[in-house]
Amino acid sequence: MAAIEISNLTKQFGDVVAVDDLNLRVESGEIFGFLGPNGAGKSTTIDIILDFIRPTEGTVSVLGYDAQTEGQAVRQRTGVLPDAYHVYDRLTGRQHVEFILEMKNADEDAMGLLDRVGIVEAADRKAGGYSKGMRQRLVLAMALVGDPDLLVLDEPSTGLDPNGAREMRDIIREENDRGTTVFFSSHVMEQVEAVCDRVAIIDRGQLVAVDTIDGLRDATQTGETLYVYVTDFGDDVTARVAKLDGVGDVVQEDGRLRVTVDGVSKFAVLHSIDEIVAVQDFSVVESSLEDLFVKYTNDEQEVRA
Amino acid sequence: MTWFVVAKKDFRDAVQSRALWALVAVFVVVSMGSAYAYISVPELFGEPGGATFAGLLFFTVGLTGLFVPLAAIVVCYKSLAGERELGSIKLLLSLPTTRLNVFAGKVVGRATVLAFGLGIGLLVGLGFGSVLIGDVQLLVVLLFLLVTMGFAAVYASIVVGLSAMTGSTSRATTYALGFFVVFELLWDVVPMGLLYVVEGFTLPSELPDWMFLATQVAPSAAYFSSIVAVLPEAAESVGAAASTPEAAVETTQTAAYVTPEVGFVFLGLWLVVPFALGYARFNAADL
Repeated sequence: MAAIEISNLTKQFGDVVAVDDLNLRVESGEIFGFLGPNGAGKSTTIDIILDFIRPTEGTVSVLGYDAQTEGQAVRQRTGVLPDAYHVYDRLTGRQHVEFILEMKNADEDAMGLLDRVGIVEAADRKAGGYSKGMRQRLVLAMALVGDPDLLVLDEPSTGLDPNGAREMRDIIREENDRGTTVFFSSHVMEQVEAVCDRVAIIDRGQLVAVDTIDGLRDATQTGETLYVYVTDFGDDVTARVAKLDGVGDVVQEDGRLRVTVDGVSKFAVLHSIDEIVAVQDFSVVESSLEDLFVKYTNDEQEVRA
Repeated sequence: MTWFVVAKKDFRDAVQSRALWALVAVFVVVSMGSAYAYISVPELFGEPGGATFAGLLFFTVGLTGLFVPLAAIVVCYKSLAGERELGSIKLLLSLPTTRLNVFAGKVVGRATVLAFGLGIGLLVGLGFGSVLIGDVQLLVVLLFLLVTMGFAAVYASIVVGLSAMTGSTSRATTYALGFFVVFELLWDVVPMGLLYVVEGFTLPSELPDWMFLATQVAPSAAYFSSIVAVLPEAAESVGAAASTPEAAVETTQTAAYVTPEVGFVFLGLWLVVPFALGYARFNAADL
């Protein structure tokens, strides 16, 4: 069963099309990353999943329930860390969690949950006095109430220091190990790269790619990049290297060749280059998701321009 | 039943509002001061026969008629618009509840906060007054409190309903203050103006019956009439009815609807209509 199934979803705000005919399926039990630049439509999509806003067209089903007509059933089984939320300044951390426990009819231990996110010592202080990171932890504790089947996390690492971000990832993995599907949006690539099984990239309201991170690498020619230092840049060296099997782009830069390699052994490529021109030295860079992301969203813009 | 959980949380949160307690303090001071003044020189307040408990009570009604709208604005104007502006509404609505439950919980929670502050203010103010007079009529006080709490609930519904119309607190403030100005401050003039227009830009010597209904549109006027309706003897003893618009039309052949009980009808409408309209707008909104 799909944890989230988005079909032909469109959302317009006046003249602005925030989400444009989006189709997306998130499988049960996976950690799914939802990537896109600011204003790409990530939060709008998540807001529709949670019925904060209503779609112009299309449907969204979550855990088998219709997000619009059966929202209460969806939210009973879902834990949410919304984007741009605000806590109740005059209530304590413990009161926040107790409120959620009562709303969800769950009987877990509020202090245990606060302990899990590392703010148990601040449980009886008013949340208005919490730091940004502590609030984020508090809302995460609230999202974990009732052992949800689905966690929806909108930019979960906002306001967290590197340590906090790592703890957040650990909790995401723990929850996933217990069978929870995790859907989270981010523009921080490392976060997504570190934990996600699959990734969707959205730009200007449209889906530009859905795949595993390895799959994305394969699909674009940015798989791996070889930097090759050679003795001589004859006119035909670049052209001859480009013709080699498995080689994508070849560019001369900074006294070396930048060669993208995809689907073949790097050693074989190096060996072939060495037959054309003597190789002095080389280095290998595996492209990060960041490169992929930039490539996808920029290409898309070029196509439209 | 999640509305009850929302109401409980909301009460806990809003009851800590400093502005509310400042207002309660002002209310207590004003009601004690005016009770003292009334008891010292009742002649000044149109009571040559001396201060009575009924007189004190109707004096207080005048104060609560002003205090409740103001306190409701302070306590309720941000109830939904504020949560939307800040984004805490997303925490609330990501829980297994519905917008109807959230809306209803807000109205109940804020009404309870209002009733709580008002109850304390009245207890101190009336208690002080009745000690000075040396007289207290418990049944009268009970009926008075009941109607007054109902009035507070009505105002909570009005202001929460207005707050539900928008996602901006500044606009919510404008709506709430605008409501107060039009329906409480200016409403004495509005029916008159209406009459003036209807009669062809002259004022008749006798006021028609429907004028009474028009004046009762103002929630505090409806509240006053309701108090008169439940406490007819006390009202008569202090001539309180004289200050109701009912008296103004007494000279004409009065229609059956010219009775203080009409106040309840209007209070009922003010409870239901803002609730329905506010919820409809809130339910349709993109948050």
